[in-house]
Amino acid sequence: MMAADPTLDLDLAAVTDESRRLASSIKPGSGPWDVIIVGSGAAGGMAAYQLATAGVKVLMLEAGRMLDYPKEYRTMEWPYQSMRRSRLPPDHRPIAVAEYSFLDRPYGNNPVFDKYRKITSYAGNSFTRNWVVNEKEHPTTGTPYSWVRARVLGGKTNFWGRGALRYGPLQFKAASRDGYDVDWPIAYEDVAPYYDKVDVLLGCSGTKEGLVQVPDGVFQRPTKLNCVEVAFQRAIAKMGRHYIPGRAGVTTEGVLNKYRARCLGRGRCGRGCDISAAFHSPTALVFPARDTGHLSVRPYSVVSEVILDGTTGRAAGVRVIDANTREVMEFKARVVVLGAGTLDTTRILLNSKSSRHPEGLGNSSGRLGCHLSEHAMGPRGSGFIPVRIGTEPTLDDGRPITPYVPRFRNVTDRHPDFIRGYHFQGGGGCYEYPGLAHDLPGYGKAFKSSVRKYYPAMISLGGFGEVLPRRENRVMLDSEVKDAWGIPVLRFDYRFGDNELKMAKDMADTVEEMLAAAGAESIKVERELLPPGWSIHEIGTARMGDDPKQSVTDKFCRLHDVDNVYLADASPFVSGGTQNTTWSILAMCWRTMDHLKEQLRSGEL
Amino acid sequence: MTGRALTRRTVLRTLGAGAAATAFMPWLSDEGLAAFAHIQAAKAPPRPRVLSVPQYATVEALVEAIIPADERSPGAREARVADYVDLLLSEAEDAVKQEWLDGLTALDVDATRRFGAPFVRLDPGQLDALLADLSRSERTAQKSPLEAFFAMTKQATVQGYYTSEIGIHKELRYKGNQLLAEFTGCQTQDGKDCPYCGQKAEGR
Repeated sequence: MMAADPTLDLDLAAVTDESRRLASSIKPGSGPWDVIIVGSGAAGGMAAYQLATAGVKVLMLEAGRMLDYPKEYRTMEWPYQSMRRSRLPPDHRPIAVAEYSFLDRPYGNNPVFDKYRKITSYAGNSFTRNWVVNEKEHPTTGTPYSWVRARVLGGKTNFWGRGALRYGPLQFKAASRDGYDVDWPIAYEDVAPYYDKVDVLLGCSGTKEGLVQVPDGVFQRPTKLNCVEVAFQRAIAKMGRHYIPGRAGVTTEGVLNKYRARCLGRGRCGRGCDISAAFHSPTALVFPARDTGHLSVRPYSVVSEVILDGTTGRAAGVRVIDANTREVMEFKARVVVLGAGTLDTTRILLNSKSSRHPEGLGNSSGRLGCHLSEHAMGPRGSGFIPVRIGTEPTLDDGRPITPYVPRFRNVTDRHPDFIRGYHFQGGGGCYEYPGLAHDLPGYGKAFKSSVRKYYPAMISLGGFGEVLPRRENRVMLDSEVKDAWGIPVLRFDYRFGDNELKMAKDMADTVEEMLAAAGAESIKVERELLPPGWSIHEIGTARMGDDPKQSVTDKFCRLHDVDNVYLADASPFVSGGTQNTTWSILAMCWRTMDHLKEQLRSGEL
Repeated sequence: MTGRALTRRTVLRTLGAGAAATAFMPWLSDEGLAAFAHIQAAKAPPRPRVLSVPQYATVEALVEAIIPADERSPGAREARVADYVDLLLSEAEDAVKQEWLDGLTALDVDATRRFGAPFVRLDPGQLDALLADLSRSERTAQKSPLEAFFAMTKQATVQGYYTSEIGIHKELRYKGNQLLAEFTGCQTQDGKDCPYCGQKAEGR
């Protein structure tokens, strides 16, 4: 499949053999299982962990293969150890400047993204290429959306950005504050205990700040700021703004898990942390769940739809296409939990059509696929902080995450131009690659020494803005185009609106203002929004609510229409604030599984 | 660069290493090992895939002029940036490849017109005069083809040099990617005046 440069590929024969063996050993008759879980990322992993440790018999279906994580997490590899310096051969069409130093194929095959193809960046790398789906096999139609999908055990948690932030009261009751759209049917108090439990189980590094816009958690040792960041922190404190240590889903002190060790400050977590100090679903959740003896994992299992029991009207199980053999089979259980990721979960439901549910399962409201939301990214700024110009390099990046400017708009005041808000993430100092060199003029010894001079002084911050949930921002099944497995693909109808554009302008203005306040030299500001989907924080296409006519699931993420189908990912989220999504998926999933376990215990299901 | 895929076994044999070396490099992929072998052999004569011998020499002279050796570290020549450029070219689309080869020709034409010698034979003063002109429009959108070629070469040189062993360790003295008990950051956070940035401790 990817033979362009044989030296780029890892030998994955052992893990693909294991995957084939597992897939062929688990057949529809191999059960019985109480619960089928679709997906093995943050949602599927947490669902499996909660159920299996409670003695529930679980079958997990993963569309991709198993993971040889000690081999595939190439954490400490240097760029010069690869002939292309971690870049991909041209037919893999890397673009650049993505947020995780990861930017492989998913972006590349859409002509809209062609302009990014030629941008040169060290970030076009080979570390994640074996996990992310090939867009030629998994196209989308409609408006452009850079939809990143990973089909491998653990999904996107293998390279996630580790931002472990909670939604707070400003998110759960956003509509009550500004009158736009609706509140969540639950409050922060309903989820807070689950966030606490996730912090303890998985490990979360952070500092207590007492900020309503990002509620505190149960934190392990925080990461520190480097010199340029301290200078920036002091400068913006005078403006009443905070710049706090990033909150990372990383154990800095250790957790009770034999697959994981505490953080060793290498700072290369986005390639997969080979000691699993960073949270990755396989080592943190799936393997411990499997060790209970109650979880079977079947890889190469592409789920096309949920199947119904004609008599009871409940879900009977799921239809699976074996990704290797193409064999179609049906797996059955008492309950189905979908955790395939917001958009693939939605696609499976839309594709589960029957005479009883002609528009897809759980879609009697007509809302399934609507209210797609994520974070608007792109506006960012950089500059050189004087206290480190011309100094010798220090070790500045030995930590899992950069610091964080919490939202400051529409927290206590009301901005005249837009509702909701945004935050900034970013930091500075000496990183492995001096991206600033691309912008410095000249040549020769003078150029070389100017790179050296400014290298320790660089600071760079990028914004994440809430995209308002809007009914017209939606996905639907394409009536003609199908993926490599014959499943209809998603057609997107998604655009940034007026609120996002005004917010983006303010992001660029405020980052410039803060850099100026810090006395930064050579301030450079990017004002344009990146393509939709860039945040990889998609939520909301099967939103929860109390009214079955207005929403897809109830407040426990269970379909209004079919009471034994639960959604474990971010598809039921009503609105997403500015916070990175993963920690909320984990907390909400735990809460949902507590509800499911109670239904199983009481005999309701 | 041999252009031949190396297996783990042949690499280890080439390095004269046995099982002990394998145990030493638990995280190194086959790709890493192959590149490692290449690095060990970096003093070997170049074997360009796209560039002719004179073209390779021109690229080498140009990248060294952009990032030269100085008192702190070797330059782009020793970091084998020309080999990196040649590798990129070997995989580039035909139009891009042609743009580079045309650029190299134009560079020699320009050098010959102004100084009566091809680029590789310019003396330091002539080289400086030529590059000063080529880099003048660096930050403007309007560029002549030769100026655009210079800008493109410079970006590739930056990329190749600062991802090389020389660029990362000798020039930048990058200190990360190490096993740390704890990341310390700016000393002011521990209530001290910071020796790295001169900022004073202040109570929170």
